[in-house]
Amino acid sequence: MDINQVKKQWQKLSTAVEDIEYAVSGHDYNVCLERDKVRDFATLMLNEGFYLVDLMAVHVTPAIEVVYQFAHFETRCRVLARAFVDDKVEMPTISDIYQGANWHERETRDFHGVVFIGHPYLKPLILPEEDVDLKPLLKAEAKLKDVDAVRRKPPEPAPAPKAKPAPKPEVKPAAVKSQEQS
Amino acid sequence: METFYSILPELIRIVICAVCGAVIVFGNALVMGYAERKLAGHIMLRPGPMEVGPHGIYQLVIDGLKLMGKQLVVPAKADPLLFRFAPLLAFAPVFVPLLVLPFSEKIQGFDLDIGLLVILALASINLLAILIGGWASNNKYSLFGVFRAVSQNVAYEIPMLLSLLAVVFMTNSFSLKAVVAAQSPVWFIVIQPLAFLIYLVSIVAETNRAPFDLPEAESELTAGFHTEYSGMSFSLFVLAEYANMFIVSSVATVFFLGGSSGIPLPYFEYSGIIWFMLKVYSLMFFLVWIRWTYPRTRFDQLMNFCWKYLIPFALVNLLITVVMVKLL
Amino acid sequence: MSMDVKALEDDRHHRYVLNMGPQHPSTHGVLRVLLELEGEYAMNLLPVLGYGHRCHEKIAEFKPAKSFMPNTARMDYLGALIYNHGFAQLLEKAAGIEVPERVEYIRVITSELNRIQSHLLWYGAYLLDLGAFTPIMYSFDDREHILDILEDVTGSRLTYCYFRVGGVSKDIDEKFVTGTRAFIKRLRSRFPMYEDLVNGNIILQKRLIDVGELTPHTCARYGITGPLLRGTGVAYDMRRAEPYSIYSKFDFEIPTGTKGDCMASFMVRFHEMEQSLRIIEQALDGLPEGSIMAAKVPKKLKIPAGDYNSSVEAPRGELSYYLVSDGSDVPYRLKVRTPSYSNLSVIPEMCQGMLLSDVVSAMGALDLVIPEIDR
Repeated sequence: MDINQVKKQWQKLSTAVEDIEYAVSGHDYNVCLERDKVRDFATLMLNEGFYLVDLMAVHVTPAIEVVYQFAHFETRCRVLARAFVDDKVEMPTISDIYQGANWHERETRDFHGVVFIGHPYLKPLILPEEDVDLKPLLKAEAKLKDVDAVRRKPPEPAPAPKAKPAPKPEVKPAAVKSQEQS
Repeated sequence: METFYSILPELIRIVICAVCGAVIVFGNALVMGYAERKLAGHIMLRPGPMEVGPHGIYQLVIDGLKLMGKQLVVPAKADPLLFRFAPLLAFAPVFVPLLVLPFSEKIQGFDLDIGLLVILALASINLLAILIGGWASNNKYSLFGVFRAVSQNVAYEIPMLLSLLAVVFMTNSFSLKAVVAAQSPVWFIVIQPLAFLIYLVSIVAETNRAPFDLPEAESELTAGFHTEYSGMSFSLFVLAEYANMFIVSSVATVFFLGGSSGIPLPYFEYSGIIWFMLKVYSLMFFLVWIRWTYPRTRFDQLMNFCWKYLIPFALVNLLITVVMVKLL
Repeated sequence: MSMDVKALEDDRHHRYVLNMGPQHPSTHGVLRVLLELEGEYAMNLLPVLGYGHRCHEKIAEFKPAKSFMPNTARMDYLGALIYNHGFAQLLEKAAGIEVPERVEYIRVITSELNRIQSHLLWYGAYLLDLGAFTPIMYSFDDREHILDILEDVTGSRLTYCYFRVGGVSKDIDEKFVTGTRAFIKRLRSRFPMYEDLVNGNIILQKRLIDVGELTPHTCARYGITGPLLRGTGVAYDMRRAEPYSIYSKFDFEIPTGTKGDCMASFMVRFHEMEQSLRIIEQALDGLPEGSIMAAKVPKKLKIPAGDYNSSVEAPRGELSYYLVSDGSDVPYRLKVRTPSYSNLSVIPEMCQGMLLSDVVSAMGALDLVIPEIDR
C-alpha cells in the first residue's frame, strides 16, 4: 500500500484530508466526507486492505456525526473518516462492504437513532426490542455542544486555523431529537 | 399343590437371584458413583468428595437421599405418562442380565443356553428407554440427544455383536458358562485381541460415555436426553448407566478375560467371584479413566469410525475366525 | 422457478430453530444464538446480544474521566489490567502526562500476567467445550498462581483497578518479583505436559483442524483481530504494529498460523503464553527504580478538546478507546471498541452449514467474553 497514492484517492472523495500527529491523538489521518461518498470511501478502503476498527456516532450540533475508524494490517495507518447524517438522521450503510459494520450500525441505531439506509436487518442489537426509540446516547439539550467545541484546537503558534473540516449541513438541531437523559 | 412344591425351589432361587441382582445394581452404583468421583478428582488434581464421612465415603448415600427428596418435575408440554415411564424402562431390564452372569463356577443365577442373547436383547431396551424419555420430554435438546443416542447405539451394536460372535464361533455356545470353560488354557484376549479391542471401543459408545457421550454432550446439548429429568427419575438413568457398564464389562470379562479363572483361592468354586469382580472393575476403571482424559468426538466422526473401521475389521476378524475354526 | 421456491419452502419445513443460550454451558455467559438447523447442520445463525449491557458508554459521559477506570475492568473481566492500561494511556495521551519508566515496566509485567491468565482460562474452558473435562483443572491450577501474585499488588483477583492516570496504585515489591520468576519457571515446565496431553491428541485435532476457517480478507471485512487474525497468517499485534507503552524495547515473537482454522488460533494462543513469559522476564530484568506516579497529575484532569484514540492488544484482539472531549474533565463521548464484538459478528458467516458440534468449537475459538461485547 502506497500511502501517498491512497491519500490522493481520499482527496478525490473527501472534502478535507488532515494529517494528525499520532503521538497526540492516536490517529494518523482525518478524512471528512460527504455522506453520499461514504460508500465509495469504504469500498476504496477495503480494496486497499484496511479493516474496519470501529463505527460510532457523536451527537453534536448541527447534526450527528458518524465516525468510521480504519486501520491497516501491514503498516501503521489509522484513519478516521467522518460524515454528518442528513436531516432525516439517515446515513448510507456500509454493511454490505464491511460486513463487520452490520452490528456497529445496529448499535448506532440503538444508541443514537441513526438510520442506515440499505441495512439488511436494522433491529435493536444491544437494547431490548421495546426500547427501539430510546436513543440513550443522545445528549440533553443543555449538554449538547457544537461540533467546533469538540474539535482539536490548533496549537498556539499555529499560523491560521485550518478550514473547518466538516461541511455543515443546513439542519436545524431540532431535527435530531434530543432526549433528557440525566 | 404338587406342581407348586416341585417349582418351589426354582421360585426361591428366582427370589434370591432378584435380591442379589438388586444388591449388585445398587451396590455397584454406590461403588462406581463414589469411585468415579474420586478418580475424576484425582485425575483432575483435586481430592474429590471429602466432607461426608472419612474421605467422603458417605457422599453417595447423602446424594441418594437428596435425589429421593427432590420433586419430580414434569415439563408442561411433555407427555406425562411416557415421561415417567422412561426411567423405569431404563432401570428395570438391567436386573435380568445379572441372572445369567457366571460370577464364579457355582455362583450363577441360571445357566441359559442363550445367555448371551438374553444379555444383548435386554441391554438394547435401555436405548428404547432413552428414546422414549427424550421424545416425551418435548425439549429440542433432548430430541437431539435421542437422535444421536439411537443412531450411535444401533451402529455400535453391530461391531459389538460381531466381535462377540467370533468367540461364539470358537466355543460353539451362547452359554456363558461354556465360554468361560473354553478358556481354561488361554484367555480369548490372546487369541482374539482384535475382537477384544473392537468390543472395548463399542462398549464405550454403547454405554454413552465420554469420549463417545454424544447423546448427553454437555457443551452442545446441555444434558442431552435427560435434560428435563430431575430427582429420582434422573438418578434411575444414572443407576441404569452404571448397571449397564457393569454388564458390558462382565460380558467382556466372560468372553475375553477368562471369567472367574485366575490363581486358585480356597473354595475356588465360590471365591472365583473375587477374580471376576477384579476384572470387571479394572475394565470399569478403564472406562472412567478414558472418560476423564479425552475430549469428545464429533458425531459424524464417531459414526464414520464405526461404519468405516470397526464393522469392516470386525467382519474380517469374524471371517478369519470362521475359516480357522473350520480348518483346525 | 416457482417450483424452486416451492422446493425451498418445503426444505425450510425440515428446519427448525434451536435457541442456544442465554443459559447454555458453552455460550460462556449470556450470549444467545438462534440456530436454524437442518438435521444437525446449522444453516443460519442469529446471535442475540445485550443481556449484559450495563451502559458503560453512557456512564462515561457523566463522571470525570479519571473515575471511569473501574468500569473498564468490568467490561472484560479476564483482561481487566489491559483494559486499565488502554484507558490510562488514553488519558495520559490526552492530558499530556509523562509516565515514569518504572510505571511502564510494572504495567507491562502485570498486563502480560493478565494476558496469560486469560489465555489459561480460555485453554481450560475451550477444552471443556470440546468435552475434555480435566484440562481446565490444570490450567486453573496455573492460573491460580497468577491470581495470587496479582492479588498481592492490586488487591483484587479479577476486576482489577490497579492503574491510575500517570501511574499505578501500589509499588511492586521483592515478593512480587520472586513470585513472578517462580511462576515463569513453573509455567514453562508445564507447557510440555500440555503439549503432550492435549495439543497432540488426535480427537482434539480432528475436532479443530479445518473447522471455522478464516481468511485475512474475511478478517478485514469483519474487523477481526487478535489470535484469530494471527491464525490466518497475518502477524498483526498492536504491541508490534503500534507499539504502545514500552513494548518496543522487548524482544518477542508474534506467533502466527497459516490456515486460519480453529487449530491455528488454538496454537497461536498457546504460543502467546510463552511469548508473554518472555516479555515478563525481560521486563523483570530491566525493572528500573523510581517513582510509581507521574510528577504532576492534576486532581481535576481537564482534557483538551479534540478526539483521542488509544489502542492496545487485549487478549482477544484490538481494544480501542475513542474519546471525544469538549475541554472539560468529563468525556463528551467515549466509545470502546471491544475485540470480541467484531470477532463474534463473523459467527453467522463462519458457522453456516456447520455441524452443531463445530459451532461449539468455532464459538470457543473466538474466546468470547460476553460482558465485553455487551458493555
